[in-house]
Amino acid sequence: MVALGSLLQRLAAWQGYFSHMLRFYGPQIRGGATAVRLSLDAEGVSLPKDSPDILVCFDWEKYLEVDREVPLAPETVVLYEKAPPSGLRLPKKSFEVDFSEASRQATGSDHNKNVVALGLVKRLLGLCGDRASEAIQTDEGLHLLKQNVAVLEAGELLLAGHSFAGLELCPAQDRSVKVVLHGNAAVAQGALRAGCRAFFGYPITPASEIMQEMQDKLPRLDGVFVQAEDEIAVMGLALGASIAGLKAMTATSGPGLDLMTEMMGLASAAEVPMVIVDVQRCGPSTGIPSKAEQSDLNHAIYGGHGEAPRVVMAPYDVPGCYRLLVEAINIAQRFQTLVIVLSDQWLGQGFVAVNDAFLKQDYPLEELKRPGGEETGDYRRYLMTDDFISPMAVAGEEGLTYQMTGLNHNEKGWPAFDFETNQQMHRKRYSKLMPLCGRDGLVDVFGNENCGRGILTWGSSAQIVLETVRWLGLQDEVKVCVPQLIHPLPERVERFVKSTDKLLVVEMNYSGQFYRYLRAQMDMPRKTELYARAGGRLFSRKELSGPVTEVAR
Amino acid sequence: MMMSRADYRTGVKPVWCRGCGNFGLLSTLTRKLFPGLGIPKHKALVVSGIGCSSRIPAYIDTYGFNSIHGRAVTIAQGAKLARPELTVVVIGGDGDFFSIGAGHLPHAVRRNLDITCIMVNNFVYALTKGQTSPTTPHLKRGEGAFLSRQFYPPVDPLLDMLSYSVSTRASFIAQGIATDTAQLGWLLEEAVRHKGFSFVSVLTPCVTFDPPELFDTIREKARYLREGEVVELPESSPDTPWVHDPQNIGLALRLAEVSLMEEPLLGVFFKGGGGMTDAGLSAG
Repeated sequence: MVALGSLLQRLAAWQGYFSHMLRFYGPQIRGGATAVRLSLDAEGVSLPKDSPDILVCFDWEKYLEVDREVPLAPETVVLYEKAPPSGLRLPKKSFEVDFSEASRQATGSDHNKNVVALGLVKRLLGLCGDRASEAIQTDEGLHLLKQNVAVLEAGELLLAGHSFAGLELCPAQDRSVKVVLHGNAAVAQGALRAGCRAFFGYPITPASEIMQEMQDKLPRLDGVFVQAEDEIAVMGLALGASIAGLKAMTATSGPGLDLMTEMMGLASAAEVPMVIVDVQRCGPSTGIPSKAEQSDLNHAIYGGHGEAPRVVMAPYDVPGCYRLLVEAINIAQRFQTLVIVLSDQWLGQGFVAVNDAFLKQDYPLEELKRPGGEETGDYRRYLMTDDFISPMAVAGEEGLTYQMTGLNHNEKGWPAFDFETNQQMHRKRYSKLMPLCGRDGLVDVFGNENCGRGILTWGSSAQIVLETVRWLGLQDEVKVCVPQLIHPLPERVERFVKSTDKLLVVEMNYSGQFYRYLRAQMDMPRKTELYARAGGRLFSRKELSGPVTEVAR
Repeated sequence: MMMSRADYRTGVKPVWCRGCGNFGLLSTLTRKLFPGLGIPKHKALVVSGIGCSSRIPAYIDTYGFNSIHGRAVTIAQGAKLARPELTVVVIGGDGDFFSIGAGHLPHAVRRNLDITCIMVNNFVYALTKGQTSPTTPHLKRGEGAFLSRQFYPPVDPLLDMLSYSVSTRASFIAQGIATDTAQLGWLLEEAVRHKGFSFVSVLTPCVTFDPPELFDTIREKARYLREGEVVELPESSPDTPWVHDPQNIGLALRLAEVSLMEEPLLGVFFKGGGGMTDAGLSAG
């Protein structure tokens, strides 16, 4: 089923169609119930509708395990292989099709029933543009089709006597070939673009694709890659590479972030540049590894003992994952700080087909503030400066030796056990990040700026909130604010809140972590509502239409 | 360029007790190892964890990182991978390397990067004032003198660091004693010169929390292991003498089994050939 979805997405991308595909899978190691939900769009990436226009089903028993993710509507066209169990009422336009038999006739085995189904769906969608055969011949991702052109054609001939008017796609507005990738790939590629040359990881769902992409690409760039023994070692390796001058990072999910926490404190205390990407899944503890939740925000902002300032960012779409990694690595270097980027399973593992402009854009890169030369002999690694950022030498540089420590330390980096130095260094570490509050560009505001009704949301929830507002036609009634820099909080967020008299906060965690974080920093309108719930199922337009309509009213 | 001891010391005064074995290690590093090998101070990185000996980076004017309990070896590897030209030395105590950080060691051995781990074994958690460590000699209460002074005797058998290191096949394994800085200096030079992961145990007195009899016994019973000389094992006889050969991992395993309290052996236990290049993994 995943192959069917991926091939269709790629074929459509060659014709210029945008798309979004999400995979649903259970706890099984291999096999089990799997579903993909794919939406194709002629104008821009939109989220799949709550119910599909076309449903292909190979196995009704498996379908019933995932039916909440792909519910049937009366107008859904259903193409299925085996008769449904009694009691399941199918929509009017349902067709039993023997995909396996068609595959057997074409190749002698039923292994290619998904290609048969693809042929049929392709015809229904009218996806027969001139580029299809070129795509099949040249795109590595379509090699399965290259070997099975006859099977694909056999599929196209099925149900020949029926008319499926209304399912044909409108022509793609912009015919350029779209790039297909998921958030995890975008994270890795963005990091490499920003100059990351050291990655250390440990396998964990749903973040492993980032590690795999780095493992694939870093050696060719003379970079350093190690799959370590655990996430504690991962952070140690990354900090070691960073003090020796490489732009270093790691990626993990909640349980790994737990193990990294002791060295999050060290990175903050010793002011070592570091980026951690947390592809969030349902917690606490092992939780639901394969499903998204936005519940690591508290940990990202506050996790660890003592007070260890760090930067927390959250992309909300796939191109944003790429752009934000460039930002994160730049900020880590410029401010000599830990940056935690919060993605999630939905964003990380959902494939989109999009314009590749974000890959081609020019990105200015930042480097460490360097010692100027006059320090030789008395280099002070933690020198108090006007902007609280000290020039940083890296291990191996002549004349600039210094000693780092997780102990409280003075300007030289030497251990210090007095209140005054402790206070001074806390002030340094907090104050150096304050200019980030002016980074209004890292806050996106959508809709009519002058209206007094607002929604604040973050991370992948923003996509479905924006989609719901559009779906309800409320763009002029309510504006939406999505900060991608969450901590420290850009001033623009407070200005947004102040400009509203009625506010809704939407996020996918049980306790409303973002809402509470905001409330701790600013007064919010008396009419502020929170829509928050645990992860495990995606938000849908239908689910959010109640609270969104309410705030716009 | 000649470097003197003064070049490798910072102005920071050590926190250690008078008579602490760590002074022996500090002077071995700053007077012998770094100047002896002609390592410019900016080309060396000393990484430590938490503990008495782990305070050492602040006293050595190379690049240094006094990091987190048990994790020094991970940071050291990251730095070595990023800058293979650095001489990377990891320093920690018995608790640091063999209790909280034990999980990282076999993997560091496996990666076999060219770094040197110096384990300062003083048989006790001294920074936290005298609790038993994995290397505190195991005796029943009242049975003998080898217990830390303040707290309860260890209930678990000790973890033998040398056996552990040999069994994981660390590519260089040696043991020295803080009171013989001449031999210690030589061992550390050999360890740093060795291309691959080197492990050096340094028997060290804790003058505050070890009973004096403990280190006195070790010093009295200590014997030197020298390449080509006969080793005193029951299996060795005048007719078929066992001769020390640091290339022989089987012999190293047998020697590591010799109880530290009965016969502390000082010297190179094992030296594997053909360690990885400086670049280690990144060369692959």
